[in-house]
Amino acid sequence: MSELLTKTPGAVGAPPAPLKLVTGPPVPAPERRPVVAPGTEFVTVTIDGHPRQFPKGTNLLEACNQAGAEVPSFCYHAGLSSPAVCRQCLVDVKGQPKPVPSCYTPVTDKMEVITASPRVLDIRRQMLEFTLLNHPIDCPICDKAGECTLQKHYFDWDAKYARNDGVKVEKAKRVDLGRHIVLDQERCILCTRCIRVCDEVAHQSELTMAMRGDHEILTTAPGRRLDNPYSLNTVDVCPVGALTSKDFRFAMRAWELESTPSICPGCATGCNVEIHSSRGEIHRLVPRENPTVNKHWMCDEGRFTYKRVHGGRLVVPESSGIPVEWDRGLADAARLLRDGLDRDVARVGVVFSAQSTNEDLYALSRLTFENLGLTRAYLAGLDQGWADDILVSADKNPNTAGALAIGGGRLKSLLDLSNDIKQGHLTTLLVVGEEGVLGSAGAAALPIDRLEALIVLAWRRDALVEAARVALPMADFAEVDGTFTNRQGRVQRISAAVPPAGDSLPGWEIVSLLSDRLGIPLEFSGTAGPLPAAGGAGPGGPATAGGAEGPAGRSSTLETGRGRGPTARTVFLEAKHKMPFMKDADWGRTSLPVQLRFAHTRG
Amino acid sequence: MKTEKTLTPLERGGASSQAEGSRRIVLGVQEPDDLDLPTDPLPLNMGPSHPAMHGTVRMVLDVEGEKITSVDLQIGYLHRCFEKEAEHATYTQIFPYTDRLNYVSPMLNNVGYALAVEKLLDIDKKVPERAQFIRVIVGEMSRITDHMTCLGAGAMELGAFTVFLYMLKAREWLYELLEEVSGARLTHSYLRIGGVSADLPEGFSAKLLDIIARSRGVIEECGKLLNKNRIFRDRMDGIGIITREEAIAWGITGPVGRSTGFDYDVRRDHPYLVYDRFNFDVAVGSVGDNFDRYMCRIEEMHQSMRILEQALEQIPDGPVIINDPRIRLPAKSETYNSIEAMIAHFKVIMDGIHVPPGEIYSFTEGGNGELGFYIVSDGSGRPWKCRVRPPCFANVSILPKILPGLFIADIVPTFGMINMIGGECDR
Repeated sequence: MSELLTKTPGAVGAPPAPLKLVTGPPVPAPERRPVVAPGTEFVTVTIDGHPRQFPKGTNLLEACNQAGAEVPSFCYHAGLSSPAVCRQCLVDVKGQPKPVPSCYTPVTDKMEVITASPRVLDIRRQMLEFTLLNHPIDCPICDKAGECTLQKHYFDWDAKYARNDGVKVEKAKRVDLGRHIVLDQERCILCTRCIRVCDEVAHQSELTMAMRGDHEILTTAPGRRLDNPYSLNTVDVCPVGALTSKDFRFAMRAWELESTPSICPGCATGCNVEIHSSRGEIHRLVPRENPTVNKHWMCDEGRFTYKRVHGGRLVVPESSGIPVEWDRGLADAARLLRDGLDRDVARVGVVFSAQSTNEDLYALSRLTFENLGLTRAYLAGLDQGWADDILVSADKNPNTAGALAIGGGRLKSLLDLSNDIKQGHLTTLLVVGEEGVLGSAGAAALPIDRLEALIVLAWRRDALVEAARVALPMADFAEVDGTFTNRQGRVQRISAAVPPAGDSLPGWEIVSLLSDRLGIPLEFSGTAGPLPAAGGAGPGGPATAGGAEGPAGRSSTLETGRGRGPTARTVFLEAKHKMPFMKDADWGRTSLPVQLRFAHTRG
Repeated sequence: MKTEKTLTPLERGGASSQAEGSRRIVLGVQEPDDLDLPTDPLPLNMGPSHPAMHGTVRMVLDVEGEKITSVDLQIGYLHRCFEKEAEHATYTQIFPYTDRLNYVSPMLNNVGYALAVEKLLDIDKKVPERAQFIRVIVGEMSRITDHMTCLGAGAMELGAFTVFLYMLKAREWLYELLEEVSGARLTHSYLRIGGVSADLPEGFSAKLLDIIARSRGVIEECGKLLNKNRIFRDRMDGIGIITREEAIAWGITGPVGRSTGFDYDVRRDHPYLVYDRFNFDVAVGSVGDNFDRYMCRIEEMHQSMRILEQALEQIPDGPVIINDPRIRLPAKSETYNSIEAMIAHFKVIMDGIHVPPGEIYSFTEGGNGELGFYIVSDGSGRPWKCRVRPPCFANVSILPKILPGLFIADIVPTFGMINMIGGECDR
């Protein structure tokens, strides 16, 4: 009737075999080996009969997960203290009469752990039953559905129907906790992760538990609101849909989202983020773990930087305010530049932006310094803002370090730009990245009308674009592949998550096209052999140097007869070769957006 | 000019001239000299859109006069990427795709697929008995509709329009009853992993027995119209002969294979579901020509009705789907009133049923032969690979071998009796 050819995993591309489990989630967690400092003492721990070595003091829960024996937990979070309140992670340890909470237990030598004995499995079921006893039946309307830890653990470890009569304790359903958060007290499973985030990450203890037993609720301290600048991290760590972001509430279902790794452009810290987008529209940014930059967190302001990608963009090239084709726009810009250069090279200026990627800046520096020999260069960016000692930098530009390094000391400030224009030292100005060029002083500070020609490569339509003679649309941070350099000097990769808006192109590509029109092509020599194999989920992008990468990377379609043009990676490789600050930078692997549907749960 | 005319079998009257042991018939006037014209080979295109071709298939024929010298059979016009779609759908979402494989016997496809997944899940012994009986019943009903369609359409193409309408009339009774069971005449999606989606409706047994009785009458009537019909016999006898060795070598199963003398029926030889509890015979032919294939199908319909009567008698009461929250959807009353059932409902639909990693080839007796499903699972709720072994793919592959030497007119009954279902062959 039927033949079971092989039941062993490992056949035909299936994921590697897990440890032998009695029951539990069928898809084993991937093996994670942390980086350990040399000289660390190791202990031997036997997990489910398999002895392994771990650094002394490793958390037992982490150890079990690394070994492939999944142990569920709610209140444990790698970046927070571990109170062992949820009791979901209990495992049996030989020699201990009672099961131990593995999130609270460090490994000791010759420890023998059983993660799936009948008693342990029973305890897991019971704990889940307790947790679900008063949980409201909100899945259809709950934001967390699809990425909910409670759903996952129930399905993997419990999967039994209810034994109670279904009458549940009623609590407040839509509590406006603060600036960004809505609380549903019924959904809360009392894990206290959010309280610890406020205590330990934001250092402002606004949240607390009140009442007892069945009626225990999460609430703010008397007279306080949840308005610290890291409040949205509580939404990330909440295992259920109790805490929801007002911005994201009911916006999009989790399984429709695709996740692309990137870097937050909000300030010079460069927190690692994931851009969650669906059908070309970004819906939220969430932090990505990076132990050296931002650990597991990011600030609230940074989360909203995604909004600028979709609103008020410049989408078509404009010449004298009239939308034109790229051909015409580039021709006009080149003509203006050529006129200015022919008259007096010393009166042509260029403005670099600290918001641009290293690739954009490098291409621009090659055009303006090497090819055109300009002497007047300035650095623009957003003004300084508030800062704290947790994550937020005062410098609100993601790539100041890169701009300064690539500029090589030749970049002057906006004040100098203003003076130079007033004193008539500039006739033609090329601005690449209009963010903050006008600065806080407003249009009055920059007497643009004294310029004969203003060419702007812009992300957004603002006053500078209105005043420009030629405006060319640039693709924003979420639409390009590139790198930013943060305040630590770390060069970090951003990936394109959505296609460029309208007709916009990456900045380096526009610069390259302009350079062609000026008669001095920028030949990027960034070849380093074939692309490394694509990592993770995707089957790999086209593995040829010069092929398109990611959803936005496309070779220039305007240059006929050139065949495959350069890509952002080509520019990066040349910059890496030429710029000392980038010598340790890594382009990383081509990462195709991962659908959250296949990513189980976050947080 | 004096011509000598030999009498054709038609003019001679009576039964077709058959030499002892040989059933080859020669038709046509044989006149020497003038009509021995040299012929040029002519490429002739038949299909993909052709009134006498079942489904969409293209045959590029090389003919000399009326005689075919070579056949280039081009299938794939109905390829709809079943296997690729299956990689993105959960195991339950694949059921509607299986409906559309052999679309004249959809329940049999559902059954074949469900059995494969259940074996991977290791629950094949735990499917409730009532569900197994139901699967046999609806499966055999689908088999009867498959044969009725094949024979009705085949007869119509030879000019017997009445037979077509009679067979379809009987087929409609079955379709109406299947519509009562599943909600649709053709695209049932009735089965689920672990059982069937809903129980049989009230009065089903009585209705089905009535239909069986009436269908027997219809088949008998059609038999009276066709079995000794001169035109029918002349066009079907001795045409498109497949030998038993060829059948085995080319992997031809089902009524086509059995008509050659190759005695293989998955229901009897590798019993699945509850087929081992029924008494039924397997129709095996001897010559392997079109008429044998026709008779095999007629007899198979009778045997299917026999199985149905026994199944209706033996079917027990009980649940119709396995009671595991990880596999079946909970009842709506529970889903709306308990969080556990709500989560189970959510995860079973969104994540799919988690099938442990492994691979399996599971085969059943489809309408046209051995229908196989080869599934590779990776532990998630969606298969890694879901390959269908379509029986008519192998059946049809022999056409370029048996058609050359026949007349163009012989393609029609031969192709009809091979019964290529485009949905199954091309997937």
